[in-house]
Amino acid sequence: MAEDLDNIASFEAKETSRKLPVGWLILFWGLIIWGIYYFVAYTPAISGWSQEKAYEESIKK
Amino acid sequence: MAGAIYRKPILFAIVSAIVILIGTAVTMFIPMLTPQMHPKLENLKPFTPLQLAGRDIYQREGCNNCHTQTVRPLKTEVMRYGEYSKAGEFAYDHPFLWGSKRTGPDLARIGKKYPDMWHYKHFEDPRAFFAESNMPSYGWLKGRSLDPEDIKSHMDALSFPYTADDISGLSGKDEMDALVAYMQVIGIAVTKTAASEAKPRVKAEEPENPLAGDQKAIELGEELYEGNCEMCHGEHGKGDIGPSLVDNIFLYEEGDLADDDYFEIINNGTSEGMVEEGRTAKGGMPSFSDQMQKNEIWSVISYIRSLQKK
Amino acid sequence: MNDYQYDNQTVRGFIISSIFWGVVGILIGLWISIQMWAPSWNIAPYFTFGRMRVVHTNGLAFGLGIGAIFGIFYYITMRLSRRPLLFPKLARFHLYLFNAAITLAALSLFAGMNQSLEYAELEWPLDIGVVILWVIFAVNIFGTIIKRKEEQMYISLWFIIATVVSVAVLYIVNNLFIPAGLFKSYHLFAGVNSANVEWWYGHNAVGFIFTTPILAMFYYFLPKSTGLPIFSHRLSIISFWSIVFAYLWTGAHHLVYTPLPNWIQTVAIVFTMFLIAPSWGSVVNGFYTVAPDWSKMRTNYLTKFFILGITFYGLQTLQGPTQGLRVVSQLIHYTDWVPGHVHMGTMGWVTMVVVASVYYIIPKIYDTEIYSEKIANMHFYLVLIGQLIFSITMWITGIQQGALWKAVNPDGTLKYTFIETLVKNYHFWHMRTLGGIIFTVGMLFFIYNIFMTIRKGKALSAIKREGVR
Repeated sequence: MAEDLDNIASFEAKETSRKLPVGWLILFWGLIIWGIYYFVAYTPAISGWSQEKAYEESIKK
Repeated sequence: MAGAIYRKPILFAIVSAIVILIGTAVTMFIPMLTPQMHPKLENLKPFTPLQLAGRDIYQREGCNNCHTQTVRPLKTEVMRYGEYSKAGEFAYDHPFLWGSKRTGPDLARIGKKYPDMWHYKHFEDPRAFFAESNMPSYGWLKGRSLDPEDIKSHMDALSFPYTADDISGLSGKDEMDALVAYMQVIGIAVTKTAASEAKPRVKAEEPENPLAGDQKAIELGEELYEGNCEMCHGEHGKGDIGPSLVDNIFLYEEGDLADDDYFEIINNGTSEGMVEEGRTAKGGMPSFSDQMQKNEIWSVISYIRSLQKK
Repeated sequence: MNDYQYDNQTVRGFIISSIFWGVVGILIGLWISIQMWAPSWNIAPYFTFGRMRVVHTNGLAFGLGIGAIFGIFYYITMRLSRRPLLFPKLARFHLYLFNAAITLAALSLFAGMNQSLEYAELEWPLDIGVVILWVIFAVNIFGTIIKRKEEQMYISLWFIIATVVSVAVLYIVNNLFIPAGLFKSYHLFAGVNSANVEWWYGHNAVGFIFTTPILAMFYYFLPKSTGLPIFSHRLSIISFWSIVFAYLWTGAHHLVYTPLPNWIQTVAIVFTMFLIAPSWGSVVNGFYTVAPDWSKMRTNYLTKFFILGITFYGLQTLQGPTQGLRVVSQLIHYTDWVPGHVHMGTMGWVTMVVVASVYYIIPKIYDTEIYSEKIANMHFYLVLIGQLIFSITMWITGIQQGALWKAVNPDGTLKYTFIETLVKNYHFWHMRTLGGIIFTVGMLFFIYNIFMTIRKGKALSAIKREGVR
């Protein structure tokens, strides 16, 4: 039986092989920037926020 | 030339392994070496052989598929279940049993919430307590005796302390006894101070029932009684797991209590050693402050009074 | 001389085994979905929800998922390496051992032997079996790749290598247990640490069983079945490295608001959100690949499976990270939302891509065509509808549960007792069972189609042999 062995060259487009869609790049960098913000805002050692403190706040009301 | 890696499978595997190990090291391996991952509350005790046997059954029956064992520090969650979970409560939990789904309620604060009898009856027939519960019945655990040697080897594997009496005391006990013993030890090591801040013991504002004798209140009270109280205090307050409400003994002493005492007991529950009107409670009554509003509690009292008159 | 035929039969063996375990897993899934609203369907001790749920998850993740991964990876690796497997006999032994292990796994879980760590429930003797299975697999895959007759390794091989390496690390570390007899053991780690190790494993089991292997299939079979080349090599590279890097940081998003140190939760949430980017890298790459010729969605029945599959992957990887955010986790964690999320991934993404790969492979092995495209289309729409009913119903249930648990009266007391919030789920749980039944019927169409294709293929090869003689 003839096996259909793969020709790797035919798997990937040539002319668009180095393209990165702009929308996707915005997403990629946007998430990294947001991640830095979130890390700073929600790490007790940096911002002082903690889930326990947030709870104490919530029951004072 | 970076492209070479895509031609060298071994190199590729090594580089991928390093890449996955970075996050692993930062979030898992390194914290593991620090004390923050190994806290222990002062009054936390290792499981006894009977409790461990119960925990093994909890694992075997997959209870953690429907019940969590961690209360999140969120206002309504603390109101519903009690004090939020502390890292130091779980030092003897191999493995942790926090679960990931609440088909049934959280069990982090189930220990000592109800008397043993409540659990025996509830395991045997959950629908006798909650008609629409979807929990499987576990009555079949009764009469399945424990294997003391087996449990001893489990205690040894975990290096938990035990005495020869602990082990010999296991013969004659069954799986249901063990499971109930485990239920009663879950989450009791945490100190209650913070919990009482979140949930202060409330004193009744009125010394007497403002809804006393009100027919509508009695009807509402009857409905609430059947849904919340009857499983322990029996039909028409005759007593069952909990004491009778129609005899003249309250908190183990002769003589009735006043309306406001009734209110406080229903609202706050009882705990061992709690003193109400000079009488000492033994605990076992859960608090209903989060399930019933004030007028509902008064309605239940109106209903109980109507039973006592009969 | 091994001329692929022998290896193809091994591949077929894995595919049929995985379909068999899939049927078992799905039927048990239906059963436990009924137990949710009809407790009398619990038959103690073996057939209670607590025991059967783990048979369902393990049966499908390991029986269907890993079985299909073994078979399909062998298939892909041979073709991308342009040579038969390096150790054909070992692969056949692997197939037998796999089925023996899954059989024992199912029986032991029914018997209640359970380590109580999600997706790592199997007791320690079986863990050792699983490690042996994985080593056998790794030896054959690496051996075949090293001895390949094609210089470059295609993207699918990257994902295959990453899967083989990661699963080995994850499985071994999380299954470090203290044995207490042959049928019982205790996690080496305790409390918060145990939780942290388990979810590092648990989430990455999702990552390296339900994500990277399926992407390996997607990147291979999409161009093969459509004839359209993958849009951007560069996008593939960035997506690959960022997904395997970021995944391992994210496990603690399962432990938001637990006593686990806040900073670990925060780091996990950050990396979880970041995962949207590499996940959508593959989604975008898939869409742009088919973009030059959307008519393939109509003319080539497999394109539908792959494109819908990658679409659900895209939705899954948006929904999942969002769930990790504290504000969302507060509401939906511990509710039915989560099974809704999981089932979109498994029924929408994983199953779609796996069945499409099988539809591609089986006729190829027999050098024939699929038995009926019409039945394949029926199958497609049934599993799509079944899955949507299931997931959407569960999301609504989850939001409702979360809201009811939080609801308070004007005087600050809780509005609902737990049982009151439970009762309101019942009609949604009926709907879920209905969705499951529709999905199951769809899968029966698939099985029938594959079975008939094999029959047709066998008849064809018999004719060919006759002809030669």
